[in-house]
Amino acid sequence: MNGRKSFGGGGGGRGRAGQGQQQGKDGQQRRPMFRRRKVCKFCADKIDDINYKDTRLLMPFVPERAKILPRRISGTCAMHQRKLRTAIMRARQLALIPYTAE
Amino acid sequence: MNRKYELVYVVSPDATDEQVTELHTQVEAIVQRLGGAIEKTENWGRRRLAYEIGRHKEGTYVLEVIDGSGELMKEIDRRFKVTDLIIRHLVVRVDEVQGVIDRTRTKRTDVSRRRRTARGLPADRQPGEGQRGEPDDDRDDRFDMSEDMR
Repeated sequence: MNGRKSFGGGGGGRGRAGQGQQQGKDGQQRRPMFRRRKVCKFCADKIDDINYKDTRLLMPFVPERAKILPRRISGTCAMHQRKLRTAIMRARQLALIPYTAE
Repeated sequence: MNRKYELVYVVSPDATDEQVTELHTQVEAIVQRLGGAIEKTENWGRRRLAYEIGRHKEGTYVLEVIDGSGELMKEIDRRFKVTDLIIRHLVVRVDEVQGVIDRTRTKRTDVSRRRRTARGLPADRQPGEGQRGEPDDDRDDRFDMSEDMR
């Protein structure tokens, strides 16, 4: 929207740009304005094969509640998020990954 | 036309090792009868299930990579559905996906080779090349996923 998409994360899109600056001037803010740039893990590590059998790879993308981690948080690119989704759904069918947390 | 499939099945934890091998021979028999071939068999052994399936908390996982027709896999699927010993199974076609993966891999190496030769470097990466001496931050901070997770 305002060209800050790549900084996303933490604030979850809350707070306008102006608001953030004001808080920044107050000094005692939780963290500085700087946000880490998110990179698609699969592009960065050159992982071509997102396989449903590879639980070690998939587990970080299904945190506590076992929901699939959205793209806006993980920074995964669209193509890899699609592949990740099918892989997670297959792994769930085989009870390698939970559908929900108990 | 023959295609490549992956078959994973979860055998009930009550089954003995003999029963598991028995199931494998059954699969083998069907595959041979319908003109296919087993490329690979992997027994992952007993694993904890991520959730309970009909009071079972564990299961023995077996993976078979099968080269065969769709009818063959249909038959195996049908048989597995009625076998009580198998608590879960999954058939996935892999040949096309594997082709895509191979193509992206070769494309990537080709591109990097072309760029390297254009820069006057040897086509392949030399051992120890391109490694940074000291990383400024030892933490991997590319994935800031700790916050906003629900």
